[in-house]
Amino acid sequence: MKRRPLGSARALAVRILACVALACAAGPEARAGTASGEGAGLPPVADRIAPAPPGTSLRRIQDEGVLRWGVDPAGGAPFAMPDPADPRRLVGFEIELVARLCEHLGVRSEPVPADWLALIDNLKAGRTDLALNGIEASPERARVVDFTIPYYRYGEQLTVRAADRERYRSLGDLRGRRISVLNGSAAVEVLQRAGFGASEIVQYDDSLAPYVELANGRVDGSVAESIIAGYYAASMPQLYTVPGTFAPGEYAGAVRKSEPQLLAALDAALERMKADGELGRIYQRWGVWSAEQEQLGIARGPAVEELALASPSSASGLAWGPVMRELAVATGATVLLTAIAMPLAVVAGLGLALMDRSARGALSWPARLYIQGVRGTPLLVQIFLIYYTLPVLGKAMGLGEALAWPAFVVGILCLAGNYAAYEAEIHRAGLDAVPKGQREAALALGMTPRQSLRLVELPQSFRIILPPILNDLVAMIKDTSLVYVIGVRELTAVALGLGKARLIVPQMLVVAALFYLAVSVVADSLGHRLEARLRRRGTPRTSLGPSHHHGGALAAP
Amino acid sequence: MSQPTRAGVEARSEPLLQVEGLRKRWPDGRLVLDGIDLTVERGDVVVILGPNGSGKSTLLRCLNGLEDYQEGCVRLHGVEVGRGRPARHVPSRGEQAALVALRQRVGMVFQQLHLFPHVDALHNVMLGPLHVLRKPRVEARETALAALRRVGLEEQAGRLPGELSGGQQQRVAIARALAMSPEVLLFDEPTSALDPLLVREVFKVIRALVYEDAITMLLVTHDLDFARDVADRVLVMEGGRVVVAGTVDQVFQSSHPLVQRFLER
Repeated sequence: MKRRPLGSARALAVRILACVALACAAGPEARAGTASGEGAGLPPVADRIAPAPPGTSLRRIQDEGVLRWGVDPAGGAPFAMPDPADPRRLVGFEIELVARLCEHLGVRSEPVPADWLALIDNLKAGRTDLALNGIEASPERARVVDFTIPYYRYGEQLTVRAADRERYRSLGDLRGRRISVLNGSAAVEVLQRAGFGASEIVQYDDSLAPYVELANGRVDGSVAESIIAGYYAASMPQLYTVPGTFAPGEYAGAVRKSEPQLLAALDAALERMKADGELGRIYQRWGVWSAEQEQLGIARGPAVEELALASPSSASGLAWGPVMRELAVATGATVLLTAIAMPLAVVAGLGLALMDRSARGALSWPARLYIQGVRGTPLLVQIFLIYYTLPVLGKAMGLGEALAWPAFVVGILCLAGNYAAYEAEIHRAGLDAVPKGQREAALALGMTPRQSLRLVELPQSFRIILPPILNDLVAMIKDTSLVYVIGVRELTAVALGLGKARLIVPQMLVVAALFYLAVSVVADSLGHRLEARLRRRGTPRTSLGPSHHHGGALAAP
Repeated sequence: MSQPTRAGVEARSEPLLQVEGLRKRWPDGRLVLDGIDLTVERGDVVVILGPNGSGKSTLLRCLNGLEDYQEGCVRLHGVEVGRGRPARHVPSRGEQAALVALRQRVGMVFQQLHLFPHVDALHNVMLGPLHVLRKPRVEARETALAALRRVGLEEQAGRLPGELSGGQQQRVAIARALAMSPEVLLFDEPTSALDPLLVREVFKVIRALVYEDAITMLLVTHDLDFARDVADRVLVMEGGRVVVAGTVDQVFQSSHPLVQRFLER
């Protein structure tokens, strides 16, 4: 049977769109299928929760039937990570926990991926209603958010290189040495209190990196919560985790201040899950159960088998098929980001260049200010700032959540807005390079200045500036990787997530780099083709038939 | 019955182009045009002679609004189409529109050709009729082809300016101006940038426009033979003023030292 080629193209388009939909803060739907079936037989608590008063977040959640909650998939297993079998789904004990929690509330769970440090910002911005991802309930944080009752009791654990196990038996033995930790985790404060200086506490953005650095010898010890140590350090034979925990603390879910109805509903559901062994069961399945949990009133429940996912597996067990497919879809998101943002940047850049060239100061100085300001600050800072201040600004202006745009949209706006400043300078140079006589000839024909620009100057300028614009296009393809900090699932974010789940970060980064390279090469060759075409011919051939070199009849000398 | 006829006669009796007391300063204060008066009747060919820097080109550029001027006014058929403005005057929307309308009636051919390099000869000529006169595409194309035929370049319509000789390019530029059916054509040293071998073909085209089409034109040139051939009247400019004016014979027999110097060359 002949297959229409369109079919596969359409399928790819659908996948790319699906990926975009995911990236648009909807996040991978928590179809924690493995978990939801297990708790059957337990009546939900939803019927015990009266409909909340109108105007409250709980009422909105009940009305929409969905709870959006913040989680950092890059934080990794066993908390939350992409499912190696189907990387579009998130799995982990917290994914299961919230999925069950939502069942009790009678709503659907929708994890919103974001950088861990941004979970609270997203919560305050209204993009999520709950942040639950190994967030330690500390008094400092309790000033900013309200915490649910704790759902897990952890302790800090020290890991050293196996070769050093006799030398470093406790934190005290490591005085003056460099220790790696997860950025912003409770371990930072524990080390500070133990007298370690800022230069001795080396912070990394994810759970795996501190151990990789320890194995590589850049640091001499690593402190992390017992769950993390038990998962990552235990899988690396060159590391040794010192038995015993210290500096205990508790994880709790965070909600915005003054949401008593939501907080009470979450607490009631958690209480129920603690008491009837449901929570204990999830912990056992994910290998994070410990006797300390009983101090929080969590019943262990009947013993259950640990999931295979509860410990990291090697790359040999990796399903390359779905992984490559996932990377291809993420590449689609990267291409889509560039394909939308770059044309926007070129058009906006032209607008800025024209404002800048305008004889009217009222137009030219704001353009100058914008170009200078944007080119003078880092793109990464702009992305962070805009993503997290837009919603706050919207609220301050009385627009509610109108400005809490999805990460994908903010990502495109930031990339386009940043590159527009550079394209403006290119446009300026290009328009300056068109001889002044061209404009005069156009005006002398009776064209308006606008027609002269559109029909005469811009077409010529465009031919001049095409090479530098194409150069920026290739640069932007790689700069799209920066929007992963606001949770957009583009190539870098997906590659890192997949790599961390299986402890194969370097391999995945090489693969991602090759994908970037492939996209850049394709973009380059398309660009060169366009350039060559413009060089060859100004306009499509006129249909006058073959032309001859000799002059016309009248004027032949 | 007699009223409209009289009005029509009166309108026709007005000169086609009238310049009164035109005075222009450069931004640095130098006087470049110092009171130019000029009347051009329909079908007139006026040749402007003068040394470099005498203001010839600037005068032409003032006539179709590429340059502003501080005093005086320009009339077409007795209707004012331009007047002196203070220096650095930013034209209002209405003044912009008036400028655009003026330029459609007064065509210009430049010394430096200024063909649009990114489109072929046909489109160079077609852009005006299509976008300025807003003719339908088919009609604009016919107009452009007719103009190219007029300068003998219909068969080169599909060529880019870069593929044409200098003389052919200047002929395309003339066709571009012709396609707008202007009432007056201004030629600003149309052969000065050309190889001497290519000058003849351009003059031949302009000559045909004079003798076969009776097109009204103002022509700045240094070529006295050509001036003698086509001019109805000759102006000689120096230092921003017209120092000698008259028919070809009157001017060339003048005893003015500037004219004598010209003739000696």
